[in-house]
Amino acid sequence: MSAGIEALNVYGGAAFLDVRELCDHRGLDKPRFENLLMHEKTVALPYEDPISFAVNAAAPLITDAVRPTIEMVITCTESGIDFGKSASTYIQDLLRLPKNCRLFEIKQACYSGTAGLQMAINFVLSGTSPGARALVIATDISRFALADAAEIQEWAYSEPSSGAGAVAVLVSDTPQVFAIDPGAYGNHAFEVMDTCRPGPDTEAGDADLSLMAYLDCCEQAFKDYARRVEGADFRTSFGYLCFHTPFGGMVKGAHRHLMRKLFKTSPADIDADFNLRVGPGLTYGQRVGNTAGASTLLALASTIDCADLPSPQRVGLFSYGSGCCSEFFSGVITPQSRQLLQTMNIGNSLQQRYRLSMPEYELLLRENGALRFGTRDAKLNHQVIPAAWSACQNSQRLVLDEIAGYHRQYRWV
Amino acid sequence: MDSDSILEIITTTIHSIVPDLSDTPITASDTMSQLGLDSVERQEVVILTLEAIGLEIPLVQLRGPRTIGDLAMLLHAKRKG
Repeated sequence: MSAGIEALNVYGGAAFLDVRELCDHRGLDKPRFENLLMHEKTVALPYEDPISFAVNAAAPLITDAVRPTIEMVITCTESGIDFGKSASTYIQDLLRLPKNCRLFEIKQACYSGTAGLQMAINFVLSGTSPGARALVIATDISRFALADAAEIQEWAYSEPSSGAGAVAVLVSDTPQVFAIDPGAYGNHAFEVMDTCRPGPDTEAGDADLSLMAYLDCCEQAFKDYARRVEGADFRTSFGYLCFHTPFGGMVKGAHRHLMRKLFKTSPADIDADFNLRVGPGLTYGQRVGNTAGASTLLALASTIDCADLPSPQRVGLFSYGSGCCSEFFSGVITPQSRQLLQTMNIGNSLQQRYRLSMPEYELLLRENGALRFGTRDAKLNHQVIPAAWSACQNSQRLVLDEIAGYHRQYRWV
Repeated sequence: MDSDSILEIITTTIHSIVPDLSDTPITASDTMSQLGLDSVERQEVVILTLEAIGLEIPLVQLRGPRTIGDLAMLLHAKRKG
């Protein structure tokens, strides 16, 4: 039996910021900025939350034929809006999904999307409900209520890379976008305090420790994969590689580390291999920033849309979530994958985002006070940046309208 | 190999990764952040130094040191086991 992703879509938000402009504004001295491979980052507007992002990603996947067959909705996020009620309950309602559905939310930092995908694939492979589909949505936004300069300073290490985005995938026994290699996976996990979200609107972390853990996991998760998969070779088994992408420079460092450690590859050959097999998967990430739980699936979407794909190709994927848990797994994409994904117009949607100026961005950081975690009642001010709101009109996009007694109300614009 | 030799390897590695610093003297009390190395460059220095001294340990065991001298001493201690 085959299983995997039948359909996929990305939602990259309604507004973005130029990252170099942000670094200059913050006075961050980055003499070799180009090596970090960061260009833009999506910024969630105050009336966009993880649920509106998720629904906007998933809506184009839910056709009338598909809707009645969805039996599970897994939301994968580290930006949840409630400790008890899962985001899947809102998503089921907003997408008019069947009532006979399993609804839940899972968390393990940026690893969540892979955890959700594997749960859904194993549900399909189990054969307990033939023909059933699962909707998996990885959705994360970085939104921090910054009250003063000290808080901005604490966030400084990750502010340039922190983005927002959602990837929705329909998992079934008709994997025409990405067919998983069943049983081909490797894990590496251990307790480490590298990056965390210890409060509702705060993030803390140690950039060096996080990078160390990421690199250790990349090597060990692949070795666990190779232990399970006879003949697996990091250089030759995969036409393309998709890595969790905090920022492109980190992925480049991890690829370099593995190629040197496993094969003692020369720097020139490492660079050529990076551009060929890893580069296509970074394109979308360089436009939306770190999308946390959605990041590995975003790299897959980027590879399908941007890589040279004349014939079926095996893709190796590496997912890492701070704290930490990681996985290396694989599957196959085909020219048909691209045909299907291109109907989603992902690149075009990113192009249509509103470009924020620095004063507008700073206004949003302050405006976020209205949407702190646990807000009981709020009427969202859609006019906070009038031009951004105008750009949203007639885009068939879901936005948050108000919160009444903790209950979030949305509307389509 | 004593920690001074490891310090020398670290210094040479920094100069090879960031040629812009070739005219900048580096001392044990410097931190790589102060020298302008970003997080990816800092890890690259650590990885290449580990290779050069033939030490294979999880990178997370090397968290903590602030200065290059501290890093050299930690690597020396790890190498001795």
